[in-house]
Amino acid sequence: MAVYIDINRCIGCRSCEVACQRVHGGHGHINVHYVREYAAVPVLCHHCQEAGCTMVCFTGALYKEGERTAFDVEKCTGCGLCALACPFGVVWTDKIAHKCDLCQGREAGPACIATCPANALSDDFDLATRRARERTVRAAAVGGKR
Amino acid sequence: MTKVLVPTVCPYCGAGCGFYVAAERERAIGIEYMSDHPVSQGALCAKGNAALEILYHPDRLTSPLKRKGEGWARISWPEALDLVAKGLGQARKKHGPRSLAFLSSSKCSNEDNYLMQKLARLLGSPHIDNCARLCHAPSVVGLNKTLGAAGMTNPIPDIASSRCIFIIGSNLAENHPVISRWIHRAKDRGATVIVADPRATPTSWMADVFLQLEPGTDVALLNGMAQVIINEGLIDREYIGLKTKGFEALALEVKDFTPQRTAEITGIAPEDIVRAARAYATSPASAVLYSMGITQHSTGTDNVQAISNLALICGQMGRPGTGVMPLRGQNNVQGACDMGALAEFYPGYKRASDPATLKFFRAAWKAEDLPPGPGLTATEMIEAAGSGEIRAMYIMGEDPANSDPCSEHARRSLESLDFLVVQDIFMTATAQLADVVLPGAVWAEKEGSYTNTERRVQWSHKAIEPPGEARSDREIICDVARSLGLQFDYPDAASVLEEINRTVPQYGGVLRERLEGSSLVWPCPTADHPGTPILHSMGFSLAEGRASIVPVPFSPAAEAASGDHPFILTTGRLAVHHNAGSMTRRSPSLISREPDLYVEMNREDAAALDVEDGDEVRVATVRGETAAYARLTDRLKKGVVFMPIHFPGTNILTTDATDPEARIPEFKVCACNVFRRD
Amino acid sequence: MIRVDTRVCLGCMSCSNVCPSQNITRSEIDGKRTVHWKRCKEECDLCVELCPAKALSLVPWDETVPETELSFDLVACKICGSPYATEPMLQRIESTLPAEMQKDARGLEWIRICPVCRRNVEAEGTARQVVLARSRKIA
Repeated sequence: MAVYIDINRCIGCRSCEVACQRVHGGHGHINVHYVREYAAVPVLCHHCQEAGCTMVCFTGALYKEGERTAFDVEKCTGCGLCALACPFGVVWTDKIAHKCDLCQGREAGPACIATCPANALSDDFDLATRRARERTVRAAAVGGKR
Repeated sequence: MTKVLVPTVCPYCGAGCGFYVAAERERAIGIEYMSDHPVSQGALCAKGNAALEILYHPDRLTSPLKRKGEGWARISWPEALDLVAKGLGQARKKHGPRSLAFLSSSKCSNEDNYLMQKLARLLGSPHIDNCARLCHAPSVVGLNKTLGAAGMTNPIPDIASSRCIFIIGSNLAENHPVISRWIHRAKDRGATVIVADPRATPTSWMADVFLQLEPGTDVALLNGMAQVIINEGLIDREYIGLKTKGFEALALEVKDFTPQRTAEITGIAPEDIVRAARAYATSPASAVLYSMGITQHSTGTDNVQAISNLALICGQMGRPGTGVMPLRGQNNVQGACDMGALAEFYPGYKRASDPATLKFFRAAWKAEDLPPGPGLTATEMIEAAGSGEIRAMYIMGEDPANSDPCSEHARRSLESLDFLVVQDIFMTATAQLADVVLPGAVWAEKEGSYTNTERRVQWSHKAIEPPGEARSDREIICDVARSLGLQFDYPDAASVLEEINRTVPQYGGVLRERLEGSSLVWPCPTADHPGTPILHSMGFSLAEGRASIVPVPFSPAAEAASGDHPFILTTGRLAVHHNAGSMTRRSPSLISREPDLYVEMNREDAAALDVEDGDEVRVATVRGETAAYARLTDRLKKGVVFMPIHFPGTNILTTDATDPEARIPEFKVCACNVFRRD
Repeated sequence: MIRVDTRVCLGCMSCSNVCPSQNITRSEIDGKRTVHWKRCKEECDLCVELCPAKALSLVPWDETVPETELSFDLVACKICGSPYATEPMLQRIESTLPAEMQKDARGLEWIRICPVCRRNVEAEGTARQVVLARSRKIA
């Protein structure tokens, strides 16, 4: 499981950033980037199957647990190798590593998914594709006219 | 110790999202999302997520204060109330009750607002208003005139049923973010989205048709669309015949707004005007969403009426997915207006100038005499403070020194009052000018009902105690009233709501117990009435049950670009800030994301001035000058610049030219110049 | 006392973070990271155990041996130029990750760009489809 983005819906409001930061004591793991001034995209941990951060972690603090890239703070030395090994730049070091933990402590699951006003984030990998498919079907039904 | 989840209504915008404040050992320790909320479904924007950051802020006012030299002395409540009674009482005695003015808060609850307007009127002053004057006064005036009711006609979730959504003068993606999910749902079902805004925004990003019009030309665009619709026979003749009056006059008025002429005035390509008009008129259900871009003009009331006209001639009203939707900014600006904290209306929109209104309230309030209105509006009050007509003011939860246009003038006017008492949670720029400052409570520290932009009334519960000696606004107003000899016995907010049930017909059935775990949309006249999510489905509460189509001529904005001031300055809001910024600029999560005042400029304009991104520049109008950082963009056409309103400085520049009917200042258009700082 | 094998030290932040007695300090000024190992009489060996490069060892106390200090010029990001990592740390990443992982879908060698730019690149890649589709529509 990871947090999937319906890129069509992001409005760049940064609610996910503030929520993630709030839930993680000030260290947020999701960043909204603005592309060409109009499009907005949140960038966050992909929980890669082949995770570079886990490969360079020499203490085993970062490891794969099923689909999730998990973090054991007890083992972390804050060396900074993981931050450099992430192709997406979404691991940070500040005394220890900081990365998306899919809101392990939250019963209701990831805060970003719950809080997104535009309903752009979800744990459903296919959601964005299904929505796009639905739109195409509807457009075809009305002859693609707008 | 167990953690308690207290249901509250977000203190920021008019979407009225609900969320739980988690409280433990009398401290607010977190937020939980309310997944069954009808509008937000658990979502919460950046501001809502940061809401707890103001609760324990060191700047919170925790004690009554009185002016002492250049600073303040902490005083006791009895002393403070004594000073207030003397200050207001003496002005009343020496200069008459009409020398008192009251500014109520669109952030405070319905109960707080009801009490404030009752206080003002029982003291004999007709001068009571709230900041709706600066935002949706044209909607209140215009929609009451055309449709007989001022409020969003359809609920927010209903937007998902729309097949064409026309957003004009609103950047809802930043300012009412949760509405985006409903628009996207409509889009997934095939809806067309049209956005009209001089500036490309995250909202226009959602559009299928983007109409980038010149600031202040909305009537021309709307008349132009009406012309196409009438010309091509796309009107709903049956609806017009049965439910409206005044169509012929409109047809005559818009005849000359051909696509060519409209294009000349607005700067929008004629084919886009036609496309938008056809899409709106021919879709089975079309809705118009609008906000400040329509209202904050010297022609604000005209703009609103033009929107209403469009909806009426196309019959896009009174059904799911249709309607006219003013998106109200403050969490309780709708409620503050419903409660009559308005210069021209008593509670329930009974006209203050109507003897029948005065008779009703004399009986309801057991008062011998009540002042007829209309009283002075929020903007006029400041003017009158400066001229000496108003000698004393009681301001609650408002910051006119920052929110009013032409700030220097507003400040000087407030300073010239004999007595000013300000009730707030922070030492705002307005509070700085007061003689006495009273510490109020924030949303989580008091209970009460709040009415969002959909006319939905919700109860917000108390999670924690106010800090120090701060008190709930209801308690403070009652104490002030009693110190002036009035009998204000309201032990809790529910007792005020009971009186509201009796005196405000639209809230007749909005009983306290019915709001527990639920909400009601007014009109809800009786205890068994389910509420009225969609307005005007049966007709209009106007003469003959017909809506009024009111033709409006096009008039340009009050100030035009000129040699000395070659740019048009338009102002607006950002996602992470709220209004005058007294709360959001004190929230670390929010201010860190947008720390400074900036001016957005078209890249070519900037290049011509040798200004680069990030340069410090000065922006000047005939009223004053402000420093800002330049932000270069493609979002604006040449000749237009944009500044956010959340920082003190923007309103030094804006004009105090107002709409003649609604008296709203023209925040959206003025002429300015931009210089490099060096 | 701590002995540092300066040939293999990565210039990472491990030892300076884990030392319980603040005997190892780290500073970063003007794109240069400096680590300084003070003389220590401690019995613990946290820094030795938790060094990813096994660069540290404990040797008997000797006042005549000078304290070790090592400076690393932080490598500049290939896109924005800001200094973001030490060269040995980057080489460690390059020698640990499989070769095919070191270039992204567009062939960019992302290890040599800073995390901020990596996020920007990711954002632009993700948004590409949507930006193209919308530009066609509105234009």
